[in-house]
Amino acid sequence: MILLKLIKKFGKINSIVLFICILLLLLEFAGHRHGEFQIEEFLFFPALFGYISCIVIFKVGVALRSIFMRDEDYYD
Amino acid sequence: MINSLPPGFIMFIGAFLIPFLPKLGRQVYMVFLVLLSSFSLFNGFGTHLTINVLDYNFIINHSDNLSLPFAIVFHIAAFITIIYGSHKDDWKENIAVISYAGAAIAALHAGDLFTLFFWWEATAFTSVFLILGGNTTRAYRAAFRYIVIQVGSGMFLLAGAVLFLYSNGNALLGQMSIDDTSGLLIFLAFGIKAAFPFLNGWLQDTYPEASEVGTVALSSFTTKLAIYALARSFSGTDILIYIGALMTFFPIFFAVIENDLRRVLAYSLNNQLGFMVVAVGIGTELAINGAVAHAFAHIIYKGLLFMSMGAVLYRVGTCKASELGGLFKYMPITAVCSIIGAISISAFPLFSGFVAKSLIMSSLGYEGLSLIYFMLLFASAGVLHHSGIKIPFFAFFAHESGHKPKEAPLNMIIAMVIGSVLCILIGIFPSVFYQILPYSVEYQPYDFSHVLSQLQLLTFAAFAFICLWHFKIYPPELNSTVLNSDWFYRRMFPAVISNIVDGLKILNEKFSLNCFRNYNIIKNFFHDIMFENKVIDREAGFDTQIVLQIFGIIVFILIFIHLK
Repeated sequence: MILLKLIKKFGKINSIVLFICILLLLLEFAGHRHGEFQIEEFLFFPALFGYISCIVIFKVGVALRSIFMRDEDYYD
Repeated sequence: MINSLPPGFIMFIGAFLIPFLPKLGRQVYMVFLVLLSSFSLFNGFGTHLTINVLDYNFIINHSDNLSLPFAIVFHIAAFITIIYGSHKDDWKENIAVISYAGAAIAALHAGDLFTLFFWWEATAFTSVFLILGGNTTRAYRAAFRYIVIQVGSGMFLLAGAVLFLYSNGNALLGQMSIDDTSGLLIFLAFGIKAAFPFLNGWLQDTYPEASEVGTVALSSFTTKLAIYALARSFSGTDILIYIGALMTFFPIFFAVIENDLRRVLAYSLNNQLGFMVVAVGIGTELAINGAVAHAFAHIIYKGLLFMSMGAVLYRVGTCKASELGGLFKYMPITAVCSIIGAISISAFPLFSGFVAKSLIMSSLGYEGLSLIYFMLLFASAGVLHHSGIKIPFFAFFAHESGHKPKEAPLNMIIAMVIGSVLCILIGIFPSVFYQILPYSVEYQPYDFSHVLSQLQLLTFAAFAFICLWHFKIYPPELNSTVLNSDWFYRRMFPAVISNIVDGLKILNEKFSLNCFRNYNIIKNFFHDIMFENKVIDREAGFDTQIVLQIFGIIVFILIFIHLK
């Protein structure tokens, strides 16, 4: 019941993505995941890297708005 | 004879018959030209045509294992673009598309620098009509900036070619070095067309101003021709690795804040070129395969994304994220094709981006370039953010925009479906795809580690976006202009010049009071010639003042250090 409520609150598609995320984390234990570099073989490294990168890109993007954003007719 | 002509030549020449044909015949004729041109691809490797003029051998048609994959994908792109544009009754655009594609294909088969120069400029002069086809004042102005820069690139190439001929006694298109002046000039020429950092302004400035068909054509040829030229002449040049890494890195942030979705795609195009440039810089067989594979896959999925946004533009009349949303209900097929393009560019397993990008990432791993590797990994997450999610999400989902357009015309749908099917086929059958690459390399993209790492990276990046959106942290898209490196020549240089002119005028007035009469007459004469015709008449903005002040401080410091 609590799970259903949470799914409703978080949205269907979002919940599916969350479910896939958890599944991918569990798959990590199914076999040994090689990486091109040593650090990549650290537990959940790609997942953490992806999540943090996306947040960093968003944060930097928002910060850059104040520097590089101008009115729509700036060049006209 | 017709067999020894370079592929593409027949398209370039045949284009000029188009105005005399009726609309339906025109489309059939264009497809026929592409087919006819593609027959020359079966000629085999080697030099098929040279022309001797004034003791100089122009190598008009030379094909090898590097030019073939590019030539194949250029033909596919031309074919898809023709189908995509066949709803329009516009012979001028038709001529531009087919002659531009033809010039780009012929350029791939140039064996010497002067033949390359001819086709290099031909692509510039044919493609500018695609931007003019946007039919707005902005497009008109953008077209002028575009042609100046493209011809500028050609001039660097010509200067480099002449110097190269002078010092080497031949102008064969082969491996070059940036250590000598001729190599550097040619490198710069290629760099402008490949949209290196700070030389990239023209790309984001002009591509989104073309019509919906024009942008699809533009996205396919010019930049990939530059990648081909770099791979031919500068493979293994170390500096390309760093240039490419910067190219993958910076456009991400600009793409995140850009509002015009076709401009977002132009930034994304720049970012994808970065991956190819890095691969060319590494220069190993695996890396060159990666660059070619990525260019091949990229032309198709980027074309697909531009086609889907073009269909939205055609039906809704705008491509701004702030004015779009909720179109999935009305344009479901376009939306699905757009999502397939987005998944491909994000490099999800079973799609074309994955099998191409894996080659580049692995070659970085083999070379032990860890910093570049992680920069590109970061950029991969960025690609998912701006192309994989932003494009389909803001156009087809997000909030309800109030637009209720019809589905895209049938010909557009056919073109997009062809693109989508190719994206999936390449992803599912990588071993067939790898056979057309320049070198035969045993490589298996689908192993447990690769697939799991990539899936974790992408789904968690997507999950981060979902969190940002769900908890309303993601700010709304705003109508805006984002400053890019074109600002330097659109705002700063004109303003700097006008500031200098103003300064000179003031100096002039003060100085002239104490001067001899004769001197005054001569000075005024030059003054009239130089400054009185109001060519340079712009207000310096706030930005420019800041830049000038910083510039002034730097000059002051330099003088100070020098005196010390």
